[in-house]
Amino acid sequence: MLVFFRDGFYKDLIILLIITVIVGAVFSQGIAWAIDTYFGDTLDGMIGEYGEYDVILHIREEAKEAAMRELDRIGQESFPGYRIKESLTIAGQANFFFGFPAEHRTKEVLEAITSYFGAVPGISGYTLMVEPSVLIRGVHPAVREDLREQIEGLEGVRFAVKDGGNLVVVLSHEDRIDTVTGAVESILQQYQILELRFPMGFEVDTQEVGNQALKVLRAQGLSGDRSYTNVTSAEYGEDLDAFLKALVEMRDFLGSYASQVRISPEPSARLGVGELIILEDGLIIEVTGVYGDLVEAMIVEGSPVQSTDKIVQRGYRFLGEGERGEWIGNVEIENERYRLAYAVDESLRLLEELEELSIQASNAVDNAEAVLITFQEALMQLEVLQVQMRQLNEGIAGDGINSSGEQFLLTILLNGLFQTLAQGVINTGEEPLDSLQNLDLEAMRKSLSGISEQIGNVQETDVAAIIEQIGFVRDTLPNLNDAEIGQSIRLINTYLGGQVIPGERIQLLIQGKAVDEKMLEGVFQRELDNPYLHTYSTSVGMVTPDARGELFRILKEVRSIVAGMLAIIFTIIVLVLDHATIFSTLKYVRASGKPVRKGLAGLLNPLIFLGGALGSLILTSVYYLARSEIPFFSLPLIVLLGFGLGVLIAFMAERFSPVNSMELMAAQSLGLSNVQIMREVVIPPSRPGLLNLLNRFKQQF
Amino acid sequence: MLEIKNLHKSYGQHIALDGVNLQVNKGETVVIMGPSGCGKSTLIRCVNRLTEPDGGTIRLGGIDVLSLGNSELQDLRRKVGFVFQQFNLIGRLTVLENVVFHLVLGGMDRDEAWARGRSVLARVGLKAAEERRPHELSGGQQQRVGIARALVTNPEIMLWDEPTASLDPILVGEVLEVMEELVKTTATTMVIVTHEVSFARKVAQRIVFMDQGRVVEEGVPGDVFARPSSEVGRLYRKLLVN
Repeated sequence: MLVFFRDGFYKDLIILLIITVIVGAVFSQGIAWAIDTYFGDTLDGMIGEYGEYDVILHIREEAKEAAMRELDRIGQESFPGYRIKESLTIAGQANFFFGFPAEHRTKEVLEAITSYFGAVPGISGYTLMVEPSVLIRGVHPAVREDLREQIEGLEGVRFAVKDGGNLVVVLSHEDRIDTVTGAVESILQQYQILELRFPMGFEVDTQEVGNQALKVLRAQGLSGDRSYTNVTSAEYGEDLDAFLKALVEMRDFLGSYASQVRISPEPSARLGVGELIILEDGLIIEVTGVYGDLVEAMIVEGSPVQSTDKIVQRGYRFLGEGERGEWIGNVEIENERYRLAYAVDESLRLLEELEELSIQASNAVDNAEAVLITFQEALMQLEVLQVQMRQLNEGIAGDGINSSGEQFLLTILLNGLFQTLAQGVINTGEEPLDSLQNLDLEAMRKSLSGISEQIGNVQETDVAAIIEQIGFVRDTLPNLNDAEIGQSIRLINTYLGGQVIPGERIQLLIQGKAVDEKMLEGVFQRELDNPYLHTYSTSVGMVTPDARGELFRILKEVRSIVAGMLAIIFTIIVLVLDHATIFSTLKYVRASGKPVRKGLAGLLNPLIFLGGALGSLILTSVYYLARSEIPFFSLPLIVLLGFGLGVLIAFMAERFSPVNSMELMAAQSLGLSNVQIMREVVIPPSRPGLLNLLNRFKQQF
Repeated sequence: MLEIKNLHKSYGQHIALDGVNLQVNKGETVVIMGPSGCGKSTLIRCVNRLTEPDGGTIRLGGIDVLSLGNSELQDLRRKVGFVFQQFNLIGRLTVLENVVFHLVLGGMDRDEAWARGRSVLARVGLKAAEERRPHELSGGQQQRVGIARALVTNPEIMLWDEPTASLDPILVGEVLEVMEELVKTTATTMVIVTHEVSFARKVAQRIVFMDQGRVVEEGVPGDVFARPSSEVGRLYRKLLVN
C-alpha cells in the first residue's frame, strides 16, 4: 500500500510534514507568546516596570485623595525624584505604588517605612516589592539576625530588610537572583527547628521541658557538629490558647446541658467508646465513656421525651438504617435541659405568687392591727362594766339578805353577761377580766409592726425585674436539641483531638547537620515520660520568588500549557484537514489492490502505523519546538497521544475527508502516476489545509 | 491482442471470476453479456488492473499485464481506453480539460492536446460544450465526454463497462449511436460489456455470455442468438425476439 508514495508523492509528504511542524510550532508558540505578552504588559501596567516601584501602600478608599496629597508632600520633602502611581482599588482598599529614587533605596529607608508613611491618612499597611530581591518567608525570630548577617555577606546582595516575619534580600542586579537564591537556601539548610508538640490539655513548662529536651538531644551523641538551642517562642499561639479554652468550656457546658444518658450494660455486652446504640423509641446514642459497669453516652439522633423524671428504655446495638442488633442493657435518660427549663418556669411562677402573697400579707397585718385596737377598746369598756357590776353587786348586797327577788335576778343576769363576754379567759380559771388584762397588747402590736416592716421590705424588692431577668435567662438558653448538642460535642472533640490544633510545643533550634525527627520521637517520648508527644521538623525560613517573579512564573507556566494545548489542537486539525485525505486515498488503494493476507500479517495494517507515526511525529515536534509543557504530560506521553490521534484519524479518515473513488479510478485508468493522481484529482477538492495550499504550487489543472 | 487465461477473483466469500478464459483478436469487437453480478465488469477492470485479480494470466499486446510494475502499468493504461458506467468525470474540470488533462500530464504540448481534445469532442457532438462543467451536462452528454476522454489517446483497445446502464432510456440512443459510429469508423479493438441486445447483435463480431464468474457460451451473434447453448444465451434470445 505504501508503494503508492514511491513515484514521488513521498517528497510532497516530507515537505508537508516539515512545513506543518514549522507552522505548528510558530502557531502554538506565537499565540502563547501573544497571551504571555498581553498578560505581561497588563501586569506591568498594573504594577509598573521591573524595579520601578519599591513599596505598595494600602490606603482606605475614602481617604485616597487626602493620602495622595500627603504622599506627594512626603515624596517632595524626603525623596525628591520619587515615583508614585495609583493602582487598583480592591475591596475598599486603594493601592499606591511608591518608588524611591536610587539614592534612597537603602536599608535604613526600607526599615523605616512606617515612620515615613505611618501618618498618611487612611493607611492600613504596606507591602515591600523592591526589585530585584529574594524573599525569605516565615523567618524564625531566633535566627533572623544571624541569617541576615550571613546573607548580607553574599556576593550580589546589597542588604537584607526585615519585613514582619519575612526577610527581603535586596540584590544589586537581577542576574544574581538565581545564585543568591541558591546560596540562601544553602544557608537555611544549616538550620533546623525541631518541634515537640504535646496534645491538648498538657500544661508544659516550656522552658524547663525545653532544657530537658536539649539534654536528651545532647545525650544522644549524634554524629556531626551541631549546636542546640531552646527557641520556644512565648508569643506564639496566645490567641489560640484562649480560643481552645473557650472551646473546652463550651464543650463542658453543652455536655451538662444535654440529656444525661447512662447505660447499665448487660454482662455479655461489651461496649466501646464511639459505639452507637438505638433505643426503643428510635433515639440513637453514642457511647462517650466506659467506667466499669457504668457507661455514659450522649444522644446523637432524635429527641427524648420532655420529662423531669428519669426515663428508662431498652437499648440495642445500632446496625444502621434503623436496624437494631442485640440488647445491650437498660438506658437511663435524664433530660437536664428540660429540668432546667422546668425549674426556671417554676421559679418565675413562685416569684409571681410571692409578689401577690406580700400584698395579701400586708393587708392581713393591717386587719390584725385594726382588730387589736378594737379589742383594746372592748377591754377598756369591759373594765368599766366590771367596776359598775361590782358597784351594783355591792349595792345589792348592802340592802341585806331580805332583798327582793327582782334584785337577785338582776345580779345573776349581769354576771352571766360578763362571763359570756369574757368566755375564753374564764376557761383559764382566772378571774375573767384579769385574764384579758394579762394579754401583752403592746408586744402584740410590736410583733405586728415587725411583720409589717418585713412585708414592706419584701414589697420594696423589685420582683418584676427579677422575673424579667429570669425570663431573659430562660429565653437565652441555647435552643438546641440533644442531637444537635451531641453532634456539636463530637465536632469540638474532633477539633480538640490534636489533629487540627497543636497543644503546647517546644521549639529547639539545631544548627548543623539535620537530625531525623521521627527517629528522635521515641527517644523524647521515653526520656520526657510522655508517650503522647510528637516531633516535627520545620525550616527556619523559606525562599520564595518575589510577587512579580511569582506572577511571571505562573504566566510562563500558562504560556507553556497554552502552547501545549495549541500543539494538540493544531495536530488534530492538521490530521483532519490534510492527512485524512491521504489516509482515505490509501484505504481506497488498499481495498482495490491485491487481497489482504490472512493471519497476523493481515492484521498489521500499515495504515495504522502510518497514521500513528505521522500523528506522533507532528505532535511531538510541534510540542517540543513550541516549548510546551503541560503538567503530567511527559514527552513519552505526548508521543503516545500523537500516535493515538494519528491512529484514530486514520481509522475515521473517510468521515473527515472522503475521496471521490470514481474520479480516482478514472485517473488510474488514464495512466496517471500516483503523484499526479494526488496532485490533480485527490487533493484539489479536499478540505482546505496546508496540503491543499502547498499543492496549488504543483497543480496543473 | 488480448488473451485471458484461468482468471480468478474473489471478494471475500463471493467468487466474481472463476477461471475465465477469453481471447480477443486485434480490431475485433467483442460484446460480453450476462446477468448482473456475473463478473463482467470485474473481468474488464482486471484487464488494466483497476481491480487486481487473485490468479490467472492476462496478456495484452503480448505483455503479461499482471507482472507489470507501477510505471509500466501506467504506460499500459495509456494505451487502453476505458469508459465507465458512471462516467467518472473529474467534477472540478471543464469538459475539454476532462478530455485532455491526462494528455498534458503525460507530457503532451498543451496546444496539441487542446486541439486533439476539441477534435474528439466534435466527433462525439460536444464541441459547443467544451467550457461547461460535467454537472451542467445531461447523462448522455457526460457519457459522451467519457467516450471522448477514452478516445483522445487513440487507444489500442477500448473497454466499455456498461456505458448506457446509468442513462435514461431516452438518452441511451445518443450514446449507442456514438459507439456504433466508433465501431464502424475505427480499427480499435473493443470489448464491450452491455445488456443492449440489439446493439450487441448489430456491432459485435463475437458475443460472450457469462454466468456465475464463468464464460458459458461464445460465438458470432448470428449463431449464439439463433441457437443459444446456454441458459443465459436463451434468455437474451428471448429479449431479442421480444
